[in-house]
Amino acid sequence: MTFRITRRAALGAGLAAALPLPAIAQGAVAKPDRIVVNASGGAMANLFRRTYNAEFEKRHGIRVVDTSPVDFGKLRAMVESGNVEWTVTELGGQDFVRAKQMNLLEPLDLSIIDLSRYPAAVRDSHIFPSSVYSTVMAFRTDVFPNGTHPKGWAEFWDVRRFPGPRSLRNHPVDNLEFALLADGVAMDKIYPIDMDRAFAKLDQLRQHVTVWWTTGAQPAQLLVDREVVLASGWNGRFYDIARRGAPVAVEWQGGCAKQNAFGIPRGARHTHWANQFLQVMTTPQLQAVYATELAYPGLHPDTLNFVEESVKPHLPTTPANLEKQFWLGVDWWTDNGQRAQEAWNRWMLRRG
Amino acid sequence: MDLTLRGVVRRFGTVTALAGIDLDVAEGELLTILGPSGSGKTTLLKIVAGFEFPDEGTVHLGNSDVTVAPPRSRDVGMVFQNYALFPHMTVAQNVAFPLEMRRLAKPERERRVAEALALVELAEYGHRLPRQLSGGQQQRVALARAIVFKPRLLLLDEPFGALDRKLREAMQLEVRRLQRRLKLTTLFITHDQEEALILSDRIAVMSAGRIEQIGLPDDVYARPGTRFVADFVGESNLLDGVARSGAEAEAAGFGTVTLIAPAGAPGARATLLVRPEALRIGAPAAGLANRTTGTIIETVFLGLSVKLRLRLGTGLELLARLPLRPSEPFPLAEGDDVPIGFAPEDVHVIADAGR
Amino acid sequence: MPAARVATSVRPDPVRARERTLLLLATPALLVIGVLFVWPLLRLLSMSVADGTLVQFEKAALDVLYVTVLWESIEIGLIVTVICLLLAYPVAMWLVQTSRFGFILGMFFLLLPFWTSVLVRTYAWMVLLGRSGVINRALRDLGWIDAPLPLLHNRLGVLIGIVHVMLPYMVIPIYAALLRIDPDLRRAAEGLGAPAWRAFARITLPLSLPGVFAGCALVFVITLGFFITPALLGGGRVMMISMLIEQQVREFLDWNFAAALATVLLVVTLAVYAMLGRLTGGAGHAGR
Repeated sequence: MTFRITRRAALGAGLAAALPLPAIAQGAVAKPDRIVVNASGGAMANLFRRTYNAEFEKRHGIRVVDTSPVDFGKLRAMVESGNVEWTVTELGGQDFVRAKQMNLLEPLDLSIIDLSRYPAAVRDSHIFPSSVYSTVMAFRTDVFPNGTHPKGWAEFWDVRRFPGPRSLRNHPVDNLEFALLADGVAMDKIYPIDMDRAFAKLDQLRQHVTVWWTTGAQPAQLLVDREVVLASGWNGRFYDIARRGAPVAVEWQGGCAKQNAFGIPRGARHTHWANQFLQVMTTPQLQAVYATELAYPGLHPDTLNFVEESVKPHLPTTPANLEKQFWLGVDWWTDNGQRAQEAWNRWMLRRG
Repeated sequence: MDLTLRGVVRRFGTVTALAGIDLDVAEGELLTILGPSGSGKTTLLKIVAGFEFPDEGTVHLGNSDVTVAPPRSRDVGMVFQNYALFPHMTVAQNVAFPLEMRRLAKPERERRVAEALALVELAEYGHRLPRQLSGGQQQRVALARAIVFKPRLLLLDEPFGALDRKLREAMQLEVRRLQRRLKLTTLFITHDQEEALILSDRIAVMSAGRIEQIGLPDDVYARPGTRFVADFVGESNLLDGVARSGAEAEAAGFGTVTLIAPAGAPGARATLLVRPEALRIGAPAAGLANRTTGTIIETVFLGLSVKLRLRLGTGLELLARLPLRPSEPFPLAEGDDVPIGFAPEDVHVIADAGR
Repeated sequence: MPAARVATSVRPDPVRARERTLLLLATPALLVIGVLFVWPLLRLLSMSVADGTLVQFEKAALDVLYVTVLWESIEIGLIVTVICLLLAYPVAMWLVQTSRFGFILGMFFLLLPFWTSVLVRTYAWMVLLGRSGVINRALRDLGWIDAPLPLLHNRLGVLIGIVHVMLPYMVIPIYAALLRIDPDLRRAAEGLGAPAWRAFARITLPLSLPGVFAGCALVFVITLGFFITPALLGGGRVMMISMLIEQQVREFLDWNFAAALATVLLVVTLAVYAMLGRLTGGAGHAGR
């Protein structure tokens, strides 16, 4: 056992010396046996293992153990009990703002993580911007062939021109925005959200939404099963089924782009290696692999250079796609999420 | 005849449980089906009760053919081995159950329940639950429940097995008394030959799905028709013999046995039955037609009698049972060589022993 | 008298010793229950009044949202329980009477849902019950229906999904209760003149009530805690209180309010449980 650790340490040191990185600085920090990275499971976990985890293990000789799922409640419980298992964790949805507000995160060490080429808007002291995803409209190409599909939410709402059952998420996020866009609000005027107006607009569509989906896999499956002909959903899910031959395509107009975030739980052990792991995650070549597989590109500006042309139309960060979408108002949701959710529950409960 | 079975056959796969049973039970008669376990007596009982149906043959109760009738329409009262009292009902509710099923009016029902409970001396126990009663009391409830609706046939399935000896004897007498008094046609199933001898009007001995012999208790005991019956009912000395001319036979290990009548054509095989209590030991053996000597190899004291195991010079072993008088010491001991004898009239010949 | 008592207590009492040994052996389980159940429960209760007031309960009790959803949850719990009972009783009776092979086969199919994850199971139901699912396609091919039946994404779909999972919880206690009933009792009843259905109603049914009660309690209580199945099969149209609790815990980290909702759910559950116990317990002695 001792021998093994020593040998692995030596190996790591050798590798580190060979790399053009600030190797002197890290040589001083003790190496743990392993770090724990908590992220979404499933296909994403496999991809993580092949890309970021493998690269980190290669560079530093420290094993990466992956766990899932992403759970904000668990993060809070861990931090509050002082028993933090995770070295690094993904932060689901819009939780990263609250995680920072509630002081659940360690500050990032920007001397290790090089964010200098990232867009200024996403650089933060505590939140690592890992990738971009978007809630977009998807449709069956056999029902709406040759560009006859709804282009934007106003048309999604137009059940006479575009008949057929629809599916939206059983959640206020995105839907309130989509309702306002459908009602003619400009993309840059969405926030602060006028909830009454949004719900009034949702009332109009209500009976045509046959399924309010709960999990990310649902809308893709609903389209495949012909359960619905139009649905909102996460772009990667539609990318996945379209690549596998399903007659499903995406309309970027009015899509709601969001950043996926990672952070270091406050009180985590080995924060140095947590920062090192996040630095590995900035590698544009690896982000490109990730983008090609899942259509969730990272925010390093070089990432698109390593992605094949055929993949680019499916990525939310491709400039032509990006200009059709708006960024989710994270701050508004952080302040109003619970209120909006209660209003949503109440609205869902109203039979009609 | 109250119960008539004709040619009843029941098979389970390749096993024949009943191989053609003919049986008649007369009105008011208590007939015992006696047999070891596996002899088919339980199957016979189930067929009479209607829990199983024969593959061949017929079952009649009185004049009605009930061969394939469901249990509820047979009007048969049954006491189960473990009584099968309904545990969630009181004693009175248990006894009232068959009356309720027959839709008797409540006053009549209550009168009959009280009557039946009085009959089994449980008049005060109507409100109790079965588990609050002793084994003997539970059995009396089961009996009351089986007779309260005046069934045309009473079935008793080894009902005394779970009771201790003293209680068992008391219950046996009580059942017999009740059966006589109510003139209940009764089919009684048991493997206990002693019980069968005490209770029965007639006994049917079953073995391997057949009735070996049917007759009065003392007939079955004193004059068994087959070697199996001789062996199963009571204790016995069975001697393998060959008939000689005249009233004599040659018994293996014993020698010539004098009989009161010929055992068959000379040279025919026969089994000679001598009950243990017919053997005379010591002085009383003198002067008997059949005599030999042997050694006492075991003595077992049974209160009113003593059982001796004796070995002859030929190696043949015999059982003897002698009466004991409390006032006199028993004169014999293990290891004693003693004269043994029995009278010709105490030898029962079972023809064609089949071996 | 005290002297005598001392004298007897000096002698080792094997019965008492056995009791002590058993208690010792049971201690780990009792500790696990204590640590994993009682302690969190106490924490939950204290969290619900963490502000030192009952505002959380006030919010839960006065807000029509939570009252409505709680009522709907109880309603679904009761419907599921009744359906399970009606389906499970015959199955349990069959299991008691069938051959060994039949028993193994029956149990296998009954327990099959336990061996698949809740998500797989739920998606399987989507494939079966969907608008263009197996059932609707078959019915359309047979010409029995023109438009697909709404089997999914409504309350019906939720009920089907929950009943499927809950059935074993009802069958097994009833099966165990039926197995304990001496088969001679039914024979005795029939021999005494009862037709099969009356023998069932008067003997088998009342004697199996403890199993029925256990099954109903299990099914009802577990059903109240469902949230994945109703979320997926209900298409958003069915809301259960556990879904709202989960929302408060995971999304809003409002643990005090979640604790208050959970406490209300717990109290309601216990109340229904007690009611059920009284109902079936009373019926158990309804012989007179």
